[in-house]
Amino acid sequence: MKKILVLVLGLLLAAPLAFAGTVKIAALIDESGPTGDVGKPYGEGIKDAVQWFNDNGGLNGDKIDLIYEDYAYKVPQAISAYKRFNREKVVAIHGWGTGDTEAMVKFISKDKIPYFSASYSQHLTDPAKAPYNFLVGPTYGDQTTVALKYVKDNGKARTVAFLYNDSGFGRAPFFPHGEDKAKELGVKLVDTEVVGLKDLDATSQLLNMKKANPEFALIQQTYMATSTILKDSAKLGLPTQYIGLNWTFGKKLVELVGKDAEGFMGTSGFAFWDNDEIEGIKFLKELNKKYHPELTFRPVNYVQGFSSMYVLLSGMKMANKNYDGENLKKIYEGMKNFDTMGLTAPVTFTPESHKGVSALKIYKIENGNVKPMTEFISAQ
Amino acid sequence: MNYTNCGNFKSDYSKDTALFQTGFSRLCIYSLLIALVVMPFVLDSYFIYIANMIFIAVIGAVGLNILTGFTGLISLGQGAFMAVGAFSAGYLSLQGMPFYLTIPLAGIITAVVGAFFGIPSLRLKGLYLSIATLAAQFIIEFIIIRAEPITGGVIGLSINYANFFGVELDDDFKFYFLAMILAVSMTMAATNITRSKIGRAFLSIRDNYIAAEAMGIGLFRYKLMAFAISSFYAGVAGALWAYYTTIITVENFTIMVSIQYLSMVIIGGLGSVLGGIFGATFLILLPEALQFISDFGSNYYPAITQIVGSLKEMAFGLVIILFLLFEPEGLVRRWKLTKAYWKLWPFSY
Repeated sequence: MKKILVLVLGLLLAAPLAFAGTVKIAALIDESGPTGDVGKPYGEGIKDAVQWFNDNGGLNGDKIDLIYEDYAYKVPQAISAYKRFNREKVVAIHGWGTGDTEAMVKFISKDKIPYFSASYSQHLTDPAKAPYNFLVGPTYGDQTTVALKYVKDNGKARTVAFLYNDSGFGRAPFFPHGEDKAKELGVKLVDTEVVGLKDLDATSQLLNMKKANPEFALIQQTYMATSTILKDSAKLGLPTQYIGLNWTFGKKLVELVGKDAEGFMGTSGFAFWDNDEIEGIKFLKELNKKYHPELTFRPVNYVQGFSSMYVLLSGMKMANKNYDGENLKKIYEGMKNFDTMGLTAPVTFTPESHKGVSALKIYKIENGNVKPMTEFISAQ
Repeated sequence: MNYTNCGNFKSDYSKDTALFQTGFSRLCIYSLLIALVVMPFVLDSYFIYIANMIFIAVIGAVGLNILTGFTGLISLGQGAFMAVGAFSAGYLSLQGMPFYLTIPLAGIITAVVGAFFGIPSLRLKGLYLSIATLAAQFIIEFIIIRAEPITGGVIGLSINYANFFGVELDDDFKFYFLAMILAVSMTMAATNITRSKIGRAFLSIRDNYIAAEAMGIGLFRYKLMAFAISSFYAGVAGALWAYYTTIITVENFTIMVSIQYLSMVIIGGLGSVLGGIFGATFLILLPEALQFISDFGSNYYPAITQIVGSLKEMAFGLVIILFLLFEPEGLVRRWKLTKAYWKLWPFSY
């Protein structure tokens, strides 16, 4: 009888110990919706970051309990998920798109939950308006600035055209930011053309552009439309050098376009899987050998997801078990030149800006591989 | 399919259209209202949130049902009309107007816009009209993205919470009462519209527009009125949504929203106010229920999270197909059948 009593008491005492050391963190990603193709690898990056932390001592011994949810890019579903996360008392969230993250800004600020997201929207970078939103990655505006700086430094005629699709995503980098920046830097904007995200023909737009004959053309599209533009441009024999923003290029573009993708330039704040010289990529390759031995390649979105979650978790580790929202905010805002193993430029948050990274590299497609052609260029 | 108690005779037409057919139905409605008032005090904030979503959806769906269910005009523009309402409320509230003015004004502005896009309905019917309203959806989205000084363009608007004489409606509990009062009063209004001359004109247009015109019903006038009323509801729903999230972007009101509202009306039951309520409730609860199953199941099979994610999309389509096949008249018919069954229970023949 005594034995049983001791056993029961022991179990009762042990139970809270086993649970004491868990921290709940939520991830809200689109896997089955319209942005699922990039969301899925992003989510895998997040999961791997969590697993790596858990396998290496957790957060100072606390195990991370990741609540992962697919919201199919629907705002109401995202809000509903957020309410549930709140009920589960998660201490931080990693989210995904622009619409849903923006819709939650007020809730997040009120509940004081640090919220990282993959959206590079302007609303989210100003702590006065969105005090608990953080983002690791250069905004579209910053990418445009860096591309225009490159044009200014390396161009001869310094003329540029904008190719975009007519949506929030397409217009965000160029109007009015790109127009103003070009003026400021002394780059001449000679043409703007609209190419739809799913267009399979861009000949007429490119013929229009040919008349203006820009030296460079900046592209804000996804793989599909970018491949259309590159193919049609090769067909028409245009001499224009294209520079795409981060969603336009990657291994996939090479697969879609083939040899006409050679020489395509793109801006990205994140390292690519081909960049073996970067410490972080070496690290991730080792990690994947261990966790996913069947995989040999990861798209850049995986790197994105991993680095963003890596920053989130590192901040929580620095918090030393004090996961209070205000304390976490203070710790993130104190992050200065935080090293992500070269996966991104060093991350700095300040009380005035929650835009972690504003420097990025320009990459070029050479022999079917994405290779960096510059060091980090700051948008400031 | 109207079963009433035996001995319940009516001696004039006004009794036939009375809001409460029997004392019992009056009792039911009043107890529902009391339950609605008591509910937020006992539920936790997640369920209050779901109730809020249902209230917003009910307003939109009841409005669309007036257009599609009662008048027989299919509209694929409800999402865009909600956007008009949300942005009007947002713009007006940034000019310093309180919410009790902006919400009705947003409704009126949306009604005007809706009536404008309803003009083609005089010439177009069925599929052709739905394409015309689809155009409305895209045209409105296009304009909102362009009209930067008013709508903030792609960035959208950021407004403050509704302020009720010093009380900020900044959480689910406080917002509940605003949404509930609006949902209840607008449902009441819709019920009364359907009992009036206007409602009967709508029905006659749906059933046979030539006969309706021969009977002296001005088609153009009543069709536009249907569009205006339905858009007014959409506008109020959009304005409520704006005050709920306080950040308004055009991404929240895409064609998917329009399709969702149309499915609410179909699933709930065309041509019935109750159908709009049922459909809205059902389609809001469906993903939540699936999520609950997934959360529960993932304790045993972690892979279920991924499956349910895709399942949610499928379930939506599946439910619509199943309803069209097996219950084209919607949940409302099921409800009536159930009621009729219990009326005679346990001595049904």
